[in-house]
Amino acid sequence: MKKLFVATVALAAGLSANAASADITVYTAGPAKLIENLSVGFTAKTGIKVDVFQATTGKVMARLEAEAANPVADVVISASWDTATTMAEEGKLLPYTSPNAAHVPDFLKTDTAVAQGISALAIAWNPASGLPKPTDWEDLAAPAYKDMVTLPDPAKSGSMFELVAALDGALGAKIFDDLSANGAIIAGANADALNPVMQGAKAAVFGAVDYISMAAAAKGESVEVIFPASGTVIAARPAMILQSAKQPEEAKQFIDYMLSEEGQEMVAATYLMPARTDVAAKRPRIDELKLLAFDQAAAYGARAETLKAFAKSFGN
Amino acid sequence: MRGQGGTAQGVLTALALALLSVIVAAPFLFILAQAIFPKIGAGSFAGPFSAMADVLGSGQLPRATLNTLIMGVGTVAVSAALAVPLAAIRALYRLPGAALWDLVFLVPFMIPPYIATLGWVMTGQPRGYLEQLTGQNIAGLLFSVPGIVIILGLHCFPVVYFALSRSFATIGGRFADVSRVFGAGPLRAFWRVTLPLALPGLAASLILVFAMAIEEYGTPAVLGTRIGFRVLVTGIDEAIGDWPVDLPGAATLALVLVGLATVAYLAQRRFVAKGGFETTGARPLSATRRPLGQATVPALLLFACVAFVSTGVPLLAVLATALAKTVSGGLAPGNLGLQNFAAVFAAGSSAREALVTSLSLGLVAALATGALGAFSAFVVVRTRARGRVAVDLLAALPNAAPGVVVALGMILLWNQPWWPVTPYNTLSILVLAYVLLLLPQPVRYTTAALAQIAPSLDAAARVAGASELAMARRILLPLIFPHLMVAMLLVFVVAARELVASLLILPVGHQTIATYIWRQFDQGSVGLGMAMALVTIGLTTLLPLAVLVAARRTEDIG
Repeated sequence: MKKLFVATVALAAGLSANAASADITVYTAGPAKLIENLSVGFTAKTGIKVDVFQATTGKVMARLEAEAANPVADVVISASWDTATTMAEEGKLLPYTSPNAAHVPDFLKTDTAVAQGISALAIAWNPASGLPKPTDWEDLAAPAYKDMVTLPDPAKSGSMFELVAALDGALGAKIFDDLSANGAIIAGANADALNPVMQGAKAAVFGAVDYISMAAAAKGESVEVIFPASGTVIAARPAMILQSAKQPEEAKQFIDYMLSEEGQEMVAATYLMPARTDVAAKRPRIDELKLLAFDQAAAYGARAETLKAFAKSFGN
Repeated sequence: MRGQGGTAQGVLTALALALLSVIVAAPFLFILAQAIFPKIGAGSFAGPFSAMADVLGSGQLPRATLNTLIMGVGTVAVSAALAVPLAAIRALYRLPGAALWDLVFLVPFMIPPYIATLGWVMTGQPRGYLEQLTGQNIAGLLFSVPGIVIILGLHCFPVVYFALSRSFATIGGRFADVSRVFGAGPLRAFWRVTLPLALPGLAASLILVFAMAIEEYGTPAVLGTRIGFRVLVTGIDEAIGDWPVDLPGAATLALVLVGLATVAYLAQRRFVAKGGFETTGARPLSATRRPLGQATVPALLLFACVAFVSTGVPLLAVLATALAKTVSGGLAPGNLGLQNFAAVFAAGSSAREALVTSLSLGLVAALATGALGAFSAFVVVRTRARGRVAVDLLAALPNAAPGVVVALGMILLWNQPWWPVTPYNTLSILVLAYVLLLLPQPVRYTTAALAQIAPSLDAAARVAGASELAMARRILLPLIFPHLMVAMLLVFVVAARELVASLLILPVGHQTIATYIWRQFDQGSVGLGMAMALVTIGLTTLLPLAVLVAARRTEDIG
């Protein structure tokens, strides 16, 4: 009993003595492998340690808001450009332009944020489903796809929300009524929508995050990424330094490293489009994709209404 | 003498109140403050009640509350229907392989509900494992409200099974024997004597199941989303997971949940207070179990069926997914391999780190929660000090705190700039969160155990000249320890795999088992996540088992 007590005290002491000894703290959206590689590479190069909190964009933002009175993070990387716009308006971001951002196109950087990489939304289709290969969004509302389509929840996926807003403008909300009438289901976040398609329970994801599906296909899953003919939306992933950063200089070095050729190659390895145009991508780039017209400010201004109308289409 | 005892009781009660105030009450107060003052995170008291009004004004609240009640009551019904017959057979009859069945029924509790749900989805959906094997799928049942409560019931029933088989065994066949001497048939004896005497244990465990069910997130999130079945917890998750974040809205919904569980708890208290249930007399009990006779085979079949559905199916689904090279490849032999397990155990892998972190956290949390829980239960049941009702209430409060909101409370409390030292951003914040989340377990187990110990034992000890402390240490502690140990094992298991709170307050640079698994799912590496899940299920089953075996051996020697 006494030994157990001593062991417990020792263990408890060990647990509380772990206080972060790292130099910078990064809050980031997935993929986990990317931030792992970036951290290891950055530490090797600079000797500065990186402590990571990785979660979905929503959870990263929740943590930032809860910590508003005593912020911890130095760098934030989210999967939704809107977060960069909002936080800049609130004065929470430290202006910085990395020298390595010279090769990043202007629309992917502001005074306070720069893209790490870019994803696009697509149709993820299982060729083993035996159903005709879709070429456009509306094909998934056709009778052949009755009960065989999943959609990520736009309330949980920022990029899916942007697709819904853009399609509302381009095709009208009728596409979602048609999908719903055809038995399509809302399946939670991005991975929840893709999983049933990989197993074959469903045949296609309407609005799959492309790089996750491409990585799955590279692993041998029966999934094919199709960019619809009428166009899609992209989601640039902003990297930002917080105004409250305790290590702003080291944070800037991290942004520099992320935008270095080495860092951008790590981004490309995850099947994201690298932000720099001079680093090769393993997949189609923005200029090879057809994009839907999308007014970000207007879309986010009407976010609640858009989500409500979407939910109504699906009978919720 | 009475005055002296009163003072000691007062001191103990004050100490319990102080501990519970910091660990339990303070985070709740900060959640309350967040619900009332939306801007308090930035240190402002502007716009009181504005966020609450928004949430209450939207039509979502009544529906989410009703759905939460349906989920809670449904899960209780499924758990009771499964556990009562099994526990009765286990406790009152000589069941072949009894200890083995106990072990088997620990497993469903060891499978995190969101993992079990995913396993069921992989099995039951069209082209799932079941269809690959038999050509049939159960998607219709799976993606429905009955599907949700059945899966939750299959996860929760062991709580009732273990509590009840202990109560039944404590009551023993003795009282039933007496009634049978007076001419009652075996069923009548069970129905009129054994079951009523076990009601405190049954009620306590069913309330626990209700509280577990209404705060469950994974299962309604995975299955409910598709059928528009939204509960309070998924509403809270959406309020937090959505950008823009709505912490005040989440806190308000959490207050409704806390309200629900408080009502349930008070109902249980009234119910327990009505019946006298002291069954551990001053004389030691010899447990007499009857032979099952001709009923042996049907009884074994019943145990095997429940074990297969609650344990076999999800475990096999997890195993199949962990072994599969690709999800698309299914159960084809060429698609199976150990590559996911190799990745988990690779030297220096983050999976290994996560395992060590979580198991250490689980151990510390179990000991801390057990100590605080037993202490609180003792104060509630064995003292007459005025503060004991407050202790009771505080110790029960965490029952309806979804992990996600506990985490918010911890952040709101411990991340204030004015603390000179704070556990925030160290692993100790996770221990605090786990203690807060799981405190009801040891409290309920030891309360039920203490309530079944007749005060005549105290009196006997006093007559023999023992002090109050000596009485607690030499008589009560040994009597409640088996119950307390089971509760601590439960805490260990749940803490070692806790997901939602861990995700939000995870200190930077660390991973727990659950956050690791969750990240794999989030990244689409389902197989790697399931391999880690299987390793975890194995460890969290075998470690407590080793403790139980060691304890039994000590008992035999003693």
